[in-house]
Amino acid sequence: MTSAVSFSILVVDDEPSLRKVIRASLAAGGYTVEEVGTGTDAVGLLQRRSFDLVLLDINMPGLNGLEACRKIRSIAPQTGIVMVTVRDAEEDKVRALEAGADDYVTKPFRFRELVARIGAVLRRTRRHSLGEPSHVEAGDLRVDFRRRKLWKRSEEIHLSPKEFDLLAFLMKNQGAPMTHAKLLGAVWGPEYGGELEYLRSYVRMLRKKIEDDPAQPFYLMTEPWVGYRFNNPADSGSPSSQLLEDE
Amino acid sequence: MPVSIQNGQAAGSGSQLRSSLATREIFLARPQKQAGLPASLNFSWGRSVQWCALGSLGVAVITWAGFQLGFNFAAASLCYLLLIVLESLTGDFAACCLVSLVALGSLDYFFTSPILSFRVGHPINILALFCFLATALVITRLVSKVRDKAELSYAQHQKTQQLYEVAQHLLAADPREASGAFLEPFRGAFGVRAACLFDAESSELHVAGSSEFDLPERTRDAFIRGQNDDDRRCGVFVRCIRMAGRTTGAVGFEGLEDASLTAGPLTALAAALLERTHAVRNANQAAAAAQTEAYRSVILDALAHEFKTPLSTILAAAGALREAASLGPEHLEMAETVEAEAARLGRLTTRLIRTARLEQEEIRPWMELTHFTSVVADAVNQYSRISGDRRINVLERCHAADVLADPDLLRLAISQLLDNACKYSVAGSSVDLIITKQDGHISLRVLSTGTPILSSERAHIFNRFYRGVDARRMTAGTGLGLYVARKIAIAHGGNLELDSEPSAEESVAFRMTLPIPESELDDIRG
Repeated sequence: MTSAVSFSILVVDDEPSLRKVIRASLAAGGYTVEEVGTGTDAVGLLQRRSFDLVLLDINMPGLNGLEACRKIRSIAPQTGIVMVTVRDAEEDKVRALEAGADDYVTKPFRFRELVARIGAVLRRTRRHSLGEPSHVEAGDLRVDFRRRKLWKRSEEIHLSPKEFDLLAFLMKNQGAPMTHAKLLGAVWGPEYGGELEYLRSYVRMLRKKIEDDPAQPFYLMTEPWVGYRFNNPADSGSPSSQLLEDE
Repeated sequence: MPVSIQNGQAAGSGSQLRSSLATREIFLARPQKQAGLPASLNFSWGRSVQWCALGSLGVAVITWAGFQLGFNFAAASLCYLLLIVLESLTGDFAACCLVSLVALGSLDYFFTSPILSFRVGHPINILALFCFLATALVITRLVSKVRDKAELSYAQHQKTQQLYEVAQHLLAADPREASGAFLEPFRGAFGVRAACLFDAESSELHVAGSSEFDLPERTRDAFIRGQNDDDRRCGVFVRCIRMAGRTTGAVGFEGLEDASLTAGPLTALAAALLERTHAVRNANQAAAAAQTEAYRSVILDALAHEFKTPLSTILAAAGALREAASLGPEHLEMAETVEAEAARLGRLTTRLIRTARLEQEEIRPWMELTHFTSVVADAVNQYSRISGDRRINVLERCHAADVLADPDLLRLAISQLLDNACKYSVAGSSVDLIITKQDGHISLRVLSTGTPILSSERAHIFNRFYRGVDARRMTAGTGLGLYVARKIAIAHGGNLELDSEPSAEESVAFRMTLPIPESELDDIRG
């Protein structure tokens, strides 16, 4: 488990038993954990003190998770938010990410998956606070953002400008699911958002260039109906899609 | 929908009339002198004698008054003519003729010289008497004719009015009312004592009123035979109802008057009523189905939340226990077991809820280049652990191929096939998955050893909620697995079919095929 003595986490869930178990488990892992049962209480608490991360259930009576997420994002822009959703509700995942969540876990989740998601978001928020890196290494890949170059096993790979922008955006947000709209907006411009075919064809081209087997991607993971996620294997806590199915 | 009826005459020729025209045609095509016309139009000796006596009395009064007042021939003949005109306005033609003859006799005897004698003195008076008789008869005939026409017209108007009222009541009746209640408007119209409607679509028999001559049975029989049933002696008339070229029901009337005139229009109304009943029933079913879908969606959401939240708690608790360094090997194993079994339950819940959702929704696959064999391997890995003593073998008989598919959906479809194969195969047997390529398609054949699927069931196994006779006895299930798996295969441009021969004694095989994208075919050829 990631050592996280200095990280504080707020668990927001209307289910007391789940709150209790998560609190005890995360506390045993070295996190400082607080828990509240409603979105309103969470927003109130965050106005008084700051947390490194909020674990927020999407289905809650009263102020629901999405509304709470928007309010928390406006109160504490630097706080990482992981939302808890129910599988088979892809729209909820997209809405959660659009509301400002950094990541999501789907019920029923395993404890190590939860810890991995929390760890990845905390690392990302810490990286962001340190400023953007000039280069990133992930597995066999190395990318230099300033010179706009990519190497795979020391061999330079030529990417078109849009391919590079797309890969760079995903690598800068490695581990985080990026919605289609967000990717299109960031790479093609704010007027884009619904042109999924552009994205699909570029992801397919990128996979052909950077993956050993494009049909079994290792770096560019699909989040069905949500978007894509860059998986850095060197990042020990980074969750991959395999982890979701790993039983 | 075009609606036609079989009336007494049309049934023989087999011609079909449109319902909108049926009433009109049947009314207009009839000869005007028909049974069922007003009683005054029918010849009756009793009535004729009465009118004759009355007319003769009138003649006597005029004769007496004219004789006392000294009327000449002209004045007397005009008075007699006036009486005959008045008589013909109300009495029948025969009576008027007789009264005319009586008047002629009186005119001759009392007012033609020589008076008080039937002898006519002058030939010109013979001509005058003949003219009187001819005028009287012509007037009588003309007035009677006009009156008959007026009465016929009135009678027809009355019938149309009655038919219109029946139609209005039928339109106002609610087809959802208790059996037969909506047929009440037929009762009382044209003397109908009992009405019966057989609806072939629902096999329901609606009856209004009490029948003395087995009307329900005769209505049903007429439908089964496809022939009208006319029994004038009992007053029972049954007509088959046809819509769009097929018989959709039958309507029977008991005590119907003037059946040849009224049965057709009433049958047309019954056909319209039947059609309306079907429309209302279909609308109700659609509304009920929509409500059921809405309830199901709510229940699925509730299930998803209510099942997955406690499962998450168990998983998180078991995971945390396993991570705790203080556990001994035995306790660690227990924690792992709890976690693994809770995860399995979670997977099962997810699959069931996903299947139930896919069953009702249109499948929208998120297509991407997918390694087919890897997805098969994933599904096999999952099932190998829960399939008991079944051995699952994957036999790859072609080079790896990629397909454009939604990996999650594809995995779900293959899991359904494996689930099916494991559930219904013989304990200890093996389940073989054979992957081949043919004609631009990749194919997965799932072969298991077990009771073969009966010939009678082969056509139904992909129907939603269908469960075979043996399946119901052997194991629990929803009857959705194969339906959803095929739906997924079709949404990917492929198919899922039963691939075992009907003669196969102990094996069951399913074949799922998916198209290989053009780009991959180029790579393979290249």
